[in-house]
Amino acid sequence: MPVVLEVRDLTKRFGPNLAVDGLSFKATPGRVLGFLGPNGAGKTTTLRTLLGLTLPTSGTAMVDSRPYRELEEPVKVVGAVLEGPQFHPGRTGRNHLRVMAAAAGLPAGRVGEMLRLVELNGAGDRRVKGYSLGMRQRLSLAGALLGDPRALVLDEPANGLDPQGIRWLRDFLRAQAAGGRTVLVSSHVLAEMAQTVDEVVVISRGRLVAQGSLDELTEGAEAPIWVRSPEPDRLRAALVATDNVRAERGEAGAGWLAVRGASLEDVGTTAAENGIPVFELYRPRQSLESVFLELTGATEAGR
Amino acid sequence: MTRLVGAELLKLRTTRTFWAVSGSALGLVLLIVVLTVAIEDAFGAEHDVIDLLATVGLCGLLTLVLGAVVGAGEYRHGTIATMLLVTPQRLRAVAAQVVACALGGFAIGLVIAAITAAIALPWLAAKDAAIPDAGELVQVFAGSAVYAGFAAALGVGLGALLRNQVAAVVIVFVQILVVEPTLAALIDGYAPFTLTGLGAAMTGVEEGSGVFAPGTAVLVFALYAALFAVLAATRTARRDI
Repeated sequence: MPVVLEVRDLTKRFGPNLAVDGLSFKATPGRVLGFLGPNGAGKTTTLRTLLGLTLPTSGTAMVDSRPYRELEEPVKVVGAVLEGPQFHPGRTGRNHLRVMAAAAGLPAGRVGEMLRLVELNGAGDRRVKGYSLGMRQRLSLAGALLGDPRALVLDEPANGLDPQGIRWLRDFLRAQAAGGRTVLVSSHVLAEMAQTVDEVVVISRGRLVAQGSLDELTEGAEAPIWVRSPEPDRLRAALVATDNVRAERGEAGAGWLAVRGASLEDVGTTAAENGIPVFELYRPRQSLESVFLELTGATEAGR
Repeated sequence: MTRLVGAELLKLRTTRTFWAVSGSALGLVLLIVVLTVAIEDAFGAEHDVIDLLATVGLCGLLTLVLGAVVGAGEYRHGTIATMLLVTPQRLRAVAAQVVACALGGFAIGLVIAAITAAIALPWLAAKDAAIPDAGELVQVFAGSAVYAGFAAALGVGLGALLRNQVAAVVIVFVQILVVEPTLAALIDGYAPFTLTGLGAAMTGVEEGSGVFAPGTAVLVFALYAALFAVLAATRTARRDI
């Protein structure tokens, strides 16, 4: 059964500090939802609340329509990677997983499988204090996957991973989503997130500032469509004949028009109907990083 | 619950802390017992032998420390988060840890009692000491092991309440070495209620008026341990991790 992760009107206050402010979003099966925000935006608090570790001041954080604390076999429903220390330094990686498996009633054989999956089988019998940051992150992932969960909640899982590890993680998350699992992942590595996620939730100072598919966010609805033609004047006249469409000679060079108020399909169809050759036609995409900085910068400035 | 206790026992024995505390407790007890038997020429009365064998009860101090280190260590190392992700019902999680530590402490006490008996009793017999009967021996050894078990349970509750290993260990030593003797000296009738007084009563070292019977001492110590366990569980249930 697929699992939906849902946060609704979530508010969390630590004394006088408002960490999360009326936040709502939903992570659905088969999709990777990226959870973005600057440091201190409330990402970790939100994820920990979803996992039942932090108690909400108001609102709800539900896993499979229930608070995490009410799940009977949580490790089979949600696997989690948290930020910060979570291992006894004197315990071996294998024993860390053995303890988890024993508490969850999972077969001991899963431990070896997970160590192999995250490529730690050679280091499983070493104490965690001798692990690099990347190895600890892999061990954390192994713990998250121990129960073969239907959803994953990962807080900065790429921290400390080398480029191969990041690549592995990306492919792994994509495969998990393709298999119908729900994946919610926070990260500050925006370039990496852009290659991994389907949808994005952006928060700043505990508030939702944007939500949508990666395409929607990076498409830049306000940006003009650029079209290059050997007959720019004829094309311009044909385009502006439609209400609300504006086309101007661009600064990019001769033959370029900047078109607003029309879709790529509209421009292409108009050109074809009027027999006007078109050499190039595109809408420039913003990078996720620039969208993120624009959105979170606006929120910061608005305070 | 059995599963959780099993996992907590595994957690306990997969760190060096458990083995270091067990080894220290064994070393301390054996050092005292061996030196005493070696130095003393005569153990005329059975009570002398009981007093000596009750040294096993010293391991209770170390299992109290072990419990405190384990309870607070979950917060120090962040393993409390992993523990609650697997078992989000916090009362159950804390209860399992308390029970596991009690069992661990009891096991430490039993092993030390067995080793002490194996070394000291033949040696004492060879010195023509008055060896107590089997019932008294069982009481002193079993009482010491039960004391060690409850002490570990109490320590876990204290550690989970304080969440700071250093503070928890310091409080344990200050309580045992300073607060209890001081209060016992100042307040009439308080001595039997101290942790060391209860330990002595459990092992049968101290008997007579003003001292709890072993069964009563076990009950009172169990109440102490339960009080700390309940406080720790309640606090953990309401706390942000």
